[in-house]
Amino acid sequence: MKKLIGVLLVLVLLVSVAGCGKQTEQGEPKSDSTQSGEKDGKTDENKEVEPVAEKITLKIANYAILEKGYTEFWEKSKTAFEEKNPNITIEWVTAPYGEILNTVINMAGGGDKVDLMFGEMIWMPAMIEAGLAVPLENLMDKDFLADYYPEILEAFTIDGHLYSLPLYSSPSILFYNKTIFEKAGIDPNKAPTSYQEMLQMAEKISQLKTDDGNKIYAFGETTASVPVSGITLLAYTANFGGEYLNQENKLSVDNVGLKESLVTLKELNDKGYNPQNAKLKDLRNLFALGQLAMYYDNSWGFNGVKSINPAAADFTAVAVPLKGENGSGQSILQAHTFTVFDNGEDRMKAAKDFIQFMISPEVLADYMKNTTPAFAVCKSMENAINPLLEKAKAANTNLAPLPMISNLNDFALEVSGLAQAITVGGEEVDVALTNFKKTAETILNQ
Amino acid sequence: MGLKKETGDKLFSLILLLPAVITTILFIVVPILDSVYRSFLDFKIKNIISGTAGTWNSFQNYTRLIQSGKLGRAIAVNLIFVVAVVVLQFIFGMSLALILNQKIRGSRFFRSIMMIPWVVPTVISGLVWMWFYQPQYGLLKYLVSFFSGGRVTEFAILNDPKTAIIGIMIAALWKQVPLGALLLLAGLSNVPMDMQEAAAIDGANYWQKLIRVVIPSMLPVIKVTLTMSIIENFKQFPLFWTMTGGGPNGATTTLAVLSYREAFVSNNLGSGAAVTTLWMVLMIMVVFLFNKALRTER
Repeated sequence: MKKLIGVLLVLVLLVSVAGCGKQTEQGEPKSDSTQSGEKDGKTDENKEVEPVAEKITLKIANYAILEKGYTEFWEKSKTAFEEKNPNITIEWVTAPYGEILNTVINMAGGGDKVDLMFGEMIWMPAMIEAGLAVPLENLMDKDFLADYYPEILEAFTIDGHLYSLPLYSSPSILFYNKTIFEKAGIDPNKAPTSYQEMLQMAEKISQLKTDDGNKIYAFGETTASVPVSGITLLAYTANFGGEYLNQENKLSVDNVGLKESLVTLKELNDKGYNPQNAKLKDLRNLFALGQLAMYYDNSWGFNGVKSINPAAADFTAVAVPLKGENGSGQSILQAHTFTVFDNGEDRMKAAKDFIQFMISPEVLADYMKNTTPAFAVCKSMENAINPLLEKAKAANTNLAPLPMISNLNDFALEVSGLAQAITVGGEEVDVALTNFKKTAETILNQ
Repeated sequence: MGLKKETGDKLFSLILLLPAVITTILFIVVPILDSVYRSFLDFKIKNIISGTAGTWNSFQNYTRLIQSGKLGRAIAVNLIFVVAVVVLQFIFGMSLALILNQKIRGSRFFRSIMMIPWVVPTVISGLVWMWFYQPQYGLLKYLVSFFSGGRVTEFAILNDPKTAIIGIMIAALWKQVPLGALLLLAGLSNVPMDMQEAAAIDGANYWQKLIRVVIPSMLPVIKVTLTMSIIENFKQFPLFWTMTGGGPNGATTTLAVLSYREAFVSNNLGSGAAVTTLWMVLMIMVVFLFNKALRTER
């Protein structure tokens, strides 16, 4: 009898194990891309998109929901969109900024694709490489696309396909603290225009301390071990007319501009002007607390500064990026974007409606003007600019292209590694560049 | 005709083992073999999404990792971290166990309190230590400045490639010493008192008793504690990823960080699998050598 009970228990366990597997399969939503009449992520040009009638739950990946200062805007927009489109319910898929891309890609790997992703322009190559991003040129309304500045759409077009749509843009711009400038005897209304000028100012600023005796750093350029730091470093190098990759996206490290940018970065580090190994959020923190006089950030970074110290609005000013000896102060375009994934025609149509709802003057203009300072990418929002950004407006037109390579994130991490080698690692620029060349080539040859 | 009793018992025990065997094969053996197989393929995230198979790439995942110089460095960082943390964890854990094994007031309360770091999730521990180490306003900076009489005003342990690994080791020890101490304490309380008394009568002092009686008696517990520690630290990932992300300048890139970066930053699952395969082989070798060195007679 005991043995019989034992055998029965074993059977129950085995059935449970099998049951678990089945339950997971049932729990995973089926991709209905086969119903959409589209293959290989390409939309059918001749097919008319039918109006959405059935109840649809639109899954939108959005890290910003978790960030104080952005939640209210997104939740309000969700409510407004759902009121306007009663057949569509939005379901947020969230993860912290650093994890959202992996979350979305891993979900897709498990057969559970989101419909839409709000993210960074720099994530676009990874989503295209993964086969997730759907070309948008035929999905979006023609008059909606016609509102975009042509050069903006061009920046998001790869191999003839438009893969993401930006909400707004910003290159790295120079933020500076007018109060610290005044304290150092520098005219607060005159920002430096070149690295030479900045270094002269930095010498004066580095003598200062905060009221509670803390060090004031003169200049902040992020060099942390995260991809976004690497991208900011690409923009920093463009200030000097330098590049890491040429127009064919081949490694190009033997140029004067790149070397000059690295020598300057080393000088900033050796003189203690630049907070070592700092992430952008560390720089925002220091700037908000009055411990950093100047730093590079995207315009929307100011929202982070304000959330730490609301009084920062009183002492913050911005300027165009500095010019290196051989450069014109060029920067690299960055943007917050929407990317659509293929979950069938109805859900793609709903995603289109949400994008067109969000990227409209009614929803976005006030946000750009008062919440997250950024530059307009559409003609209809030309005047929706935060007064803080007026003096950096020219930066948005002096741009070098963002290299659209499939492993951009990995390459960007390697660029951060190079910056760390010459700063905290104490390596000479030439030695570090030789080592970088070796590792970067293995990444590009993947 | 019924089965013989012995055969029936064997069959019954086999049936009882079946769930464990099937679960082990399904959830451990198959994924490991699958990972080893994929380490020889050009297999990226797009293969999973599009449902296409990977292609054989002539050991390129391995050769590329070796050529980049990242693999050798990651192995070295991993071994340094494991050896240092395991040795220090044993020293601190044993010391704490010996103290708590004394009849001192409040030792029960202290035993409960000391488990707090072990209960804290590893990612949270990493974040707490990051704040402690923060270069501009972290507590450590002030302590170093205070105790150096203001001579060292800028101390950023995680920013220096020479000290970053030490910063992570401290966080790992803070988290792991309590469990080690608890296990060793359990072993210590089982050391026969009569042997210790006999050694004392023979004139052995405290250290002689400890080294010749206590430690040999608790060798099986020590072995389990150290094996657990080796495995735990070999696969340590959250502390590295949250505190340094493998930096600065690759100084804290372990095999765990490298495999994550290859698989989920580069989205090259084949390359990530190559790192984990080597990582697994290395861990098996280390545990095997350790067990051989500490072989206990039955």
